[in-house]
Amino acid sequence: MEKEEIISSGLLEMYVVGAASPEEAVQVERWRSEYPEVAAELLAIEQSMESYAGANAVAPPPGVKNKIFASLNMVSAQEQPAKIVRMSSFRSMAAAAAVILLVGSCIFNYIYYNKYRDADSKYRQQQQQLASLNQHMNDMDNDMSVVRSKYSLPVSLSNVKDAPDPNAAAKIFWMKNTGEVYVDPGNMPMAPKGMQYQLWAFVDGKPVDGGMISSKDGKTYSIQKMKTFGKAEAFAITLETAGGHPEPKGKLYVMGKI
Amino acid sequence: MPSNIKYSEEELVDLLRKKDQQAFSYLYDNYAAALNGIITRMVDEPQLAEDILQEAFIKIWNNFAQYDNSKGRLFTWMLNITRNFTIDTLRSKGYRKQKKISQDENSVSYYKDKNYSEERFDTIGLKKQLLNIKPDLRVIIDLAYFNGYTQEEISKEMSIPLGTVKTRMRTAINELRKLLQ
Repeated sequence: MEKEEIISSGLLEMYVVGAASPEEAVQVERWRSEYPEVAAELLAIEQSMESYAGANAVAPPPGVKNKIFASLNMVSAQEQPAKIVRMSSFRSMAAAAAVILLVGSCIFNYIYYNKYRDADSKYRQQQQQLASLNQHMNDMDNDMSVVRSKYSLPVSLSNVKDAPDPNAAAKIFWMKNTGEVYVDPGNMPMAPKGMQYQLWAFVDGKPVDGGMISSKDGKTYSIQKMKTFGKAEAFAITLETAGGHPEPKGKLYVMGKI
Repeated sequence: MPSNIKYSEEELVDLLRKKDQQAFSYLYDNYAAALNGIITRMVDEPQLAEDILQEAFIKIWNNFAQYDNSKGRLFTWMLNITRNFTIDTLRSKGYRKQKKISQDENSVSYYKDKNYSEERFDTIGLKKQLLNIKPDLRVIIDLAYFNGYTQEEISKEMSIPLGTVKTRMRTAINELRKLLQ
């Protein structure tokens, strides 16, 4: 084709508007490099189409530029209104993030506070258990030291005739070296409210007050130290009103001779 | 096109080859509206059109090394990328290329309402001039340039013989060039 023919064929226009076939496009590109007239004609067509596109331009929504730049990790310096949009979206995102964090933090606080309270009350319970176990062990130690002492003289106090409780029993540990008297009332029934067991030592045939038996927790009796006796023929326990009396008035529960 | 050009096309191309972000910013400021005009002609959904514009510019940036200035002007290359990407996107979403224009492709008022009422752009005078092109000549330009129709599709759409499409296109663009002079 002669260059005049090429120019008037309409192929160049088809090429510029993008409607030429791939083969035609290759042909046009070859002509462009071969004929300066063709190149000039193509340039003129391109420029007029550019103007036509410009006349049909539609401004893109604000913010698109910044989205493009953001996705390419660039900082867009020129699109001011969009910049404000981006700032506010950043702020709203930051605010949203802060709210999420706050809510999350509240939930965590709530959960962990509850866990803390549970743990704390369990810890207190354990502490109390431990303390009572310690107390218990100390008591046992004391009891054992009394029982084991090589000087202790055990005296069994057993049921007497017509005793209120046929199962009641007690033991006396009388320290021969010091005269100290310990009573183990572990097998005595709990004294009713307002009542207390009182220990008596029989000295020269007469009952002498040996002291009141008490319970630390109101449920059990442990070995406890009573009054000291240098000599005694027998020991006995009666149920008296709380505080006791100089002479036995209540019912006799148990008794044992040495 | 905005008239306050700071870079010549050669300078701009040279800077973009060097991945100059300032030049890319300039490129967007000067060409985005023209490319968006083509996208919004083909795409009805504003969000999709925005996504396409965004992706097209990312493609232009990422593939800039492929631009060969001996094969045409920068805008022609960018427009081809944008148009092809738009067509591919619409196709992948199940749209047909013809969808938007086939409603009333021979009506001047259709173009008037749809595409020439963009008062924000500072080429109102030019637009008025362009309205003077005979509708059947405008249609052939628009079908190819804005809607990406092939010769065969134009032939079918306008009911003209395939051999006539090229000469009709030449006539239409000559008319346009006269108006622009």
